[in-house]
Amino acid sequence: MTKARKNARQLIGTGMHRVDAAGKVSGETRYLNDMPLKGILHGVVVRSPVPRGILKAVEPDPAYNWTGITVATAKDIPGENVVHMHDRTMPLLAEVGAEVRYRGEPVAVVAAKTLAQASAAAAHIRVEVDPLPPLLTLAEAVAVFKATPDKFDSMKSQDIVKGDIAKGFAEADDILEGEYEAGHQEQLYLENQGVVVYPQKDGSIFADGSLQCPYFPVHELNDPLQLPPEKIRVRQTPIGGAFGGKEEYPTMLIGYAALPALKSGKPVKITYERNEDILFTPKRHPVWVRYKTGFKKDGTLTAIECDYILDGGAYLTISDVVMFRGILHCALAYRCDNVVIRGKVARTHSMPCGAFRGFGAPQAIWGIESHIDAVAAHLGRAPHEYRQQIHIRPGDSTPTGQILSAENGSTTCLKQALQRADFARKWRQSSQGKLRKGQQKLYGVGLAFLGHGSAFTGDGEAKFKAKGRVELATFANGKPGVNIRVSSTEMGQGVHTIFTQIAADALSLAPEHIRFPLADTAFVPNSGPTVASRTTMVVGNVVYRAAQDLKQQIEAFAAQHFFRGAAATLKDSQLVAKGARPVPFAKVAQAMLKEIGGASGSFQFNLPDSIRWDQTTFKGDSYPGYSWMANIAEVEIDPLTYELAVTRVTAVIDIGRVINPVTAGGQVEGGLTQALGYAVMEKMGTGKNGLYDAARLQTYIIPTALDTPEFDIHFVEYPYTFAPPGAKGVGELPMDGLAPAIANAVAAATGRRLRQIPITPEAIYEAVHGGREGTP
Amino acid sequence: MSNVTRTWKLNGKSVTVRAPAGRRLLDVLRDDLGLTGSKESCGEGECGACTVLVDDEPMVSCLIPVGQLPNGTEILTIEGIARKAAGRVIQQAYIECGAVQCGFCIPGMVVSSYALLQRNPKPSTRAIRDALAGNLCRCTGYAKIIQAVKLAATRLAKRTR
Repeated sequence: MTKARKNARQLIGTGMHRVDAAGKVSGETRYLNDMPLKGILHGVVVRSPVPRGILKAVEPDPAYNWTGITVATAKDIPGENVVHMHDRTMPLLAEVGAEVRYRGEPVAVVAAKTLAQASAAAAHIRVEVDPLPPLLTLAEAVAVFKATPDKFDSMKSQDIVKGDIAKGFAEADDILEGEYEAGHQEQLYLENQGVVVYPQKDGSIFADGSLQCPYFPVHELNDPLQLPPEKIRVRQTPIGGAFGGKEEYPTMLIGYAALPALKSGKPVKITYERNEDILFTPKRHPVWVRYKTGFKKDGTLTAIECDYILDGGAYLTISDVVMFRGILHCALAYRCDNVVIRGKVARTHSMPCGAFRGFGAPQAIWGIESHIDAVAAHLGRAPHEYRQQIHIRPGDSTPTGQILSAENGSTTCLKQALQRADFARKWRQSSQGKLRKGQQKLYGVGLAFLGHGSAFTGDGEAKFKAKGRVELATFANGKPGVNIRVSSTEMGQGVHTIFTQIAADALSLAPEHIRFPLADTAFVPNSGPTVASRTTMVVGNVVYRAAQDLKQQIEAFAAQHFFRGAAATLKDSQLVAKGARPVPFAKVAQAMLKEIGGASGSFQFNLPDSIRWDQTTFKGDSYPGYSWMANIAEVEIDPLTYELAVTRVTAVIDIGRVINPVTAGGQVEGGLTQALGYAVMEKMGTGKNGLYDAARLQTYIIPTALDTPEFDIHFVEYPYTFAPPGAKGVGELPMDGLAPAIANAVAAATGRRLRQIPITPEAIYEAVHGGREGTP
Repeated sequence: MSNVTRTWKLNGKSVTVRAPAGRRLLDVLRDDLGLTGSKESCGEGECGACTVLVDDEPMVSCLIPVGQLPNGTEILTIEGIARKAAGRVIQQAYIECGAVQCGFCIPGMVVSSYALLQRNPKPSTRAIRDALAGNLCRCTGYAKIIQAVKLAATRLAKRTR
């Protein structure tokens, strides 16, 4: 539904080629490990050998030759031993005498001239722990929650309450309960984590890192490093994938590297190899979610009660906010007047879980979209027809009482996806456990429908006030142009390209006049972290407005200096005024740089005053805007081996104004593929030794080019008009719905509902042959 | 481990390296020769980010000890492919199809695509999927990469006609 653009030169809405692609296809782009660095030390993290216990000693072996080797322990932390995160409970390094809470918790950092020397030396640090009994898995925590709720250790709890749940169940003709589970998921960015910390003469630090949020370390490490924000400078290196995995964790790495760097006075680099990266960086939170829904004979939902428990790991870090986003998506997509959702973050003795594309929402939607299908089946209704009846649409109120505006394409997404996939006909052909005539394989089609909140929760963006700048500059090639200065990071999603499009259109400049340098906190204002499906919607608006501001300044300057006061307009890369010959932008920009030292446009984001949000009661407008998706999966299952193939995936999506349909399509295809992995193959748990049981690419299996289905992706545009150009979020949403769509398709194929992902052939076998999951 | 001396034809030029026999080709390329286009991701031959052509065969350079590569071996890395006409056609197709996101897998992907189109100028979708199955990408879902290989095949076919 991309509309014809009036202005032929307009770039918004076109599939402009990526500005960073040339360097990436030629291999010339230098990621952190490609940079030639001299005179640096390589750091290795020394870790707790047990999941839980009292740390008795961290001692270098006196017999070992420590010449040239720097060892940093908690004793070397200049300030308070705490990383801020969200509750200030996690130490930077575990301290002797205190409790270590997960296998692999850092206790020391060793740095030496070569990685081999550092690794060898690290093996000569004696780490002594008096073990305590650990609670390792979410399953154990949930068992406690079910048996003795008062003994359940929740690091953070939050409820959402709407209406009167007792009344809702009293009004119901029928009630259905269901529990749904999912394990860890690894981001598996192809470029492992890495940072280099350069200590500066004035005692400050400068860090290069493959990281999403350059301002996080600036504000999270002040207490342990005893450095104010202005003494921590962070610069993004080209990022080889992140998906949330490089959101909060790189702050820890910078903290680890800073200790030997400050102690030795030399730069320290820490990069993980794949095995260490998988074992000791945060994953998607495992979830246990229980729904109890009441409904009338006609299907109307009268009550939704939900318990949503995430495995937070050993420390809260950012899991509270992950849980918040989770519970806000637990019952978002359906009309219901009486809702109770109880969210909790379980403490376990395992590596803290963290950000991963979707941020709690995929776990919630895995539960609700499985459950709604189960309700439909219980009612004897077809899943698509039932969702068309009960789904939320403009004018309806969400579980937090937000009234959906007309800028929500929920109904259109559902309707068009069903049409495009020919769902009704295919649904009738689903095998339902028996091969139909002419079928060689069990066939099923499944649906999921969902909304995804764009940007920070509630009035978070109003409180944060993202800042950005667009400024005149002289490029390395000597030409004048415009630099975009925001802290949004390019991690593959295409922000450098789409912000170039936005700035170019707002300025009416050709894209070659615009650059977007990698974010460096010395040069960019804080436009917030590159997370939460907020970047295009919020920071894109900041860039748009800042560029408009700069445009006015350029026009005013041109009027005065080139057109004798006549009003000038910047249009198609030149300044035009009535009755005068146009002047190229470059000439005016050059003059501005020379005569007034340049110019810069800036903007600070705010939300409309009408936004109301109560962070205590979780009532009000939970997100400024919502993207929507109806997601359909078709599966074929071999009746002998239960091998599962996802053959075709349809997605109709409202992400507001589509800035670049090619990059947006790439986000969707990539997100759907991660969701495919989550659904059917990416299996990871915590072993008895406290370590993840799939710790390398030979055991943690992600989709290859042979596993991906045919995609039919279609955008419908319901722009977020408050923030031109009117985008809503796209980054996370494609991760949300495919797992339940596939589970629903598997149920249609086999007649059995699987309540745990990944859905492996073994799990299907168990379900079909009456294993523990075999509830119809 | 004892050092070996080897003379290879690397990206069309004669290169002599001296290194422990067990040193990985990837390390020789990246650290000794400064050819950082080949990436390391898994270090155990699963991901394909370090794929190079060894005597025209795509191989993961993280699993090849240099002692195993005799004198005269022809090695082509992404840096060499970028200088070949067919390589540039493939790279341009990747750019135009939006097949690049974070870019970390892309050098290996381009090398595997080049190898495929050298031996099979008109690959089917299935053949493309097969040829790229050893190169993991976490960003794109492969759809636009497959599209790019098809576009490159079409353009290369026109050139040779």
